[in-house]
Amino acid sequence: MNGSVPCSAAEDAPPLLRLEGVSFSHGPREVLHAISLGLQGGAFTSLLGPSGSGKTTLLQILAGHWKPSRGKVLVDGADATHQPPEARGLGLVHQHLALFPHLTVERNVSFGLEVRGVPLVRALEKARATLELVALPADTWRRPPDRLSGGQRQRVAIARALAFGPRALLLDEPFTALDRGLRQRLGAELRRIQRETGVTTLLVTHDQQEALALSDTLVVLREGRLLQAGPPAELYQRPLDPWLAGFLGEANLVTTGRYLRADKGECLLVRPEELVPGDQPDCGDHTLHGPVREVVFRGADHLVTFEADGQVWKIALTGSAAPRPGEIMRAILPANAGWNVTRGCRP
Amino acid sequence: MRPARANGWLAWPALALVALLVVPSTLMLVRLSLCQAARGAGFYLADSFTWDHFTRLVSPEGLPLVAFTVAFGLAVTAGVVPLAWLLAWPLRTSGGMGLILGLLALLAPRLAGMLGPLVALRVLLPRGVVSAWLAEIFLITPYAALVLLVHLRGIDWTVLQAARGLGARSWQAVARVGLPLAGPGLWLAGQLALGWGLGAFLGPDILAGPAGRTLATDLHHQAFDNSRWSMAAAEGVLLLVLVAAVYLVRPSGWTRGNHP
Repeated sequence: MNGSVPCSAAEDAPPLLRLEGVSFSHGPREVLHAISLGLQGGAFTSLLGPSGSGKTTLLQILAGHWKPSRGKVLVDGADATHQPPEARGLGLVHQHLALFPHLTVERNVSFGLEVRGVPLVRALEKARATLELVALPADTWRRPPDRLSGGQRQRVAIARALAFGPRALLLDEPFTALDRGLRQRLGAELRRIQRETGVTTLLVTHDQQEALALSDTLVVLREGRLLQAGPPAELYQRPLDPWLAGFLGEANLVTTGRYLRADKGECLLVRPEELVPGDQPDCGDHTLHGPVREVVFRGADHLVTFEADGQVWKIALTGSAAPRPGEIMRAILPANAGWNVTRGCRP
Repeated sequence: MRPARANGWLAWPALALVALLVVPSTLMLVRLSLCQAARGAGFYLADSFTWDHFTRLVSPEGLPLVAFTVAFGLAVTAGVVPLAWLLAWPLRTSGGMGLILGLLALLAPRLAGMLGPLVALRVLLPRGVVSAWLAEIFLITPYAALVLLVHLRGIDWTVLQAARGLGARSWQAVARVGLPLAGPGLWLAGQLALGWGLGAFLGPDILAGPAGRTLATDLHHQAFDNSRWSMAAAEGVLLLVLVAAVYLVRPSGWTRGNHP
C-alpha cells in the first residue's frame, strides 16, 4: 500500500515540502517503506498513526536530523536530503519540547534569531511579538521554562519554532503530556496561530480526534507505510482500508447480510451515527433489531452495541435514554448510508 | 498530614567514618603545626605554642613555594578540564557496548595504580616541571572525566537537536547550549582537578625533582628528610585550607540544567 500520495487540496501548486520514495532502516528493520508525500504551502497537515508507525522518524527526516536510507527530501523544490537541519529553515517542536533550561523564556524564543546574527535587541523585540501571538502572559517572559505550567511551556516551544520565520512548522506530538481539555484548547490555539501566520504546518499525532479536528489534510501511516491521505472528512467517511476505518472512529464493517451493497472481497462501512434509532423505514432503508450487548456512556451520547441479522452493530444514541443490555434495539440503516471499503475486507 | 522525612540517617555511617578518620588526624595536624619542633627524638615539643611555621610560609622565603603550588594546581586544572570534556562528551549519550568500552578506556590506565604509570612516564619524559604537569594531568583526567560524565548523562540532549533545528550550526549549539548546561559538571571536574593539583606530590617528586617543589613534596621533605614535623604539619594545614576552599566555593543557584 505504499506509493505516491499527493495530500492537499491545492494540487496545482508545487508542494513546499516533498518526500520522494523515502525509506529508513534501523539496522535490518525497515521503519519507513518508500513514502512519497507532498505538503502544500500554508496547509495544516496531520500525520496520524499508532505508536511505532514511523511518524516521528518521518518528521526527523523532514527536519534533517536523520537521513533517509533511500529517497529524497525536497524543500521548496530544492533537494535538501543532505542538508543539515539548520540549513532547512524548518521550525521543529519536539515531543518533550526541549526548551533550553538555562535561558529565560524570551531568550529561548529569540534563540533562532540570535544564531542567525540578528542583534539581540531586535531578536528580543521579535521574540516578544511572537510570545504575544501565542498568548503567553508577559510576566512569564523572563522566567526560566521550568517555572511555567505545562500549557505555557507548549506555547513557548511553539513561539520558539515560529519566531525566526520558518518555511514550515513541524510538531512532534507536542500535546501528549497534557490532559484532554488542555490539549483541545491548545490545539485550537495552534490552529488559530497557523491561520494568522499562514505557516505550513505538519502535526504528528496519534490522537484521531485531534487530527480530525485540526487538519486541512490528514496523512495516515501504519507500520511505516502510507495508508491514505486527504481531507479528514474524506478519510473518515471513505477510508480505503477497514483498519483505517476502525482507527479513525467507531465503525460497523458489514461483510454479510441482505443490505450489503459491496462486491465479494469488499465490505460496507457504516458509522454508528449513520444508524437511526426507530423502526419505521423509508423506501429502500433496512430495519435492524436485536438484543443489546453493551452500552457505553460517552458523555455526549451512548454507544450501544447490539446484534442484528448475524452481525454486531454499534449505534450512537444522543439524549439521556439508552436501552439496557438484553433489551431489543431497533434501528434503521438508511438506504444511502455506508461506504464500500474496497480492500482488505475479510468475509 | 506531615511530609515524609528524608532518610538522612542513611548518611550516619559515612559521617561516623569521617569523624573517626578525618577529625582526629586533622586535629593532630593542627596541634603539630602550632607546636615548636622537638629537640632530638620526638615529633614536637609538648606544651609549646608558636606561629613560626605559618609565619615562615608567608615570608619571602616561603611564599614562592606557596605561589608555585597554586600556579601548578591551576595549570593542572587548565589541562585536565578540557581533556575531561573531550573524553566525556562522546560518552554522554552512548549506551551498551560503546559506554562500556569508553569507560574501560578511561579507567584502564588507573588499574596499574598511581605509581606504575609514573615510572613509565619517568622513562619516557625528560625531567622537568612540564613533565610533572603532564603526569598530573594523566593521573587526574580520568576521575575528572567521570565526574563530568555523570553530570552530562543527566541532561536531556535533545536540546542540542532543538538548537540545530532553530538554525544553530553544530559549534553554536555546543557553545550556546551544550557548554552552559555542562557548566556545573565542568565546575565539579575543575574543583576535583584543582584540589588534586594543589596537593600534587607524585608527579613533581618523580618527574620534576627540586625544580618542581610543591607544598606536598616539601612537606614530605621536611618530615622525612629534616624531621621537622611541625613545619611539615603547618604545610599540611595550609594545603588543607587551600583544598577545602576550592571544594567549598560554588556559584550560587547552580543546579543541573539551571544556571544563573
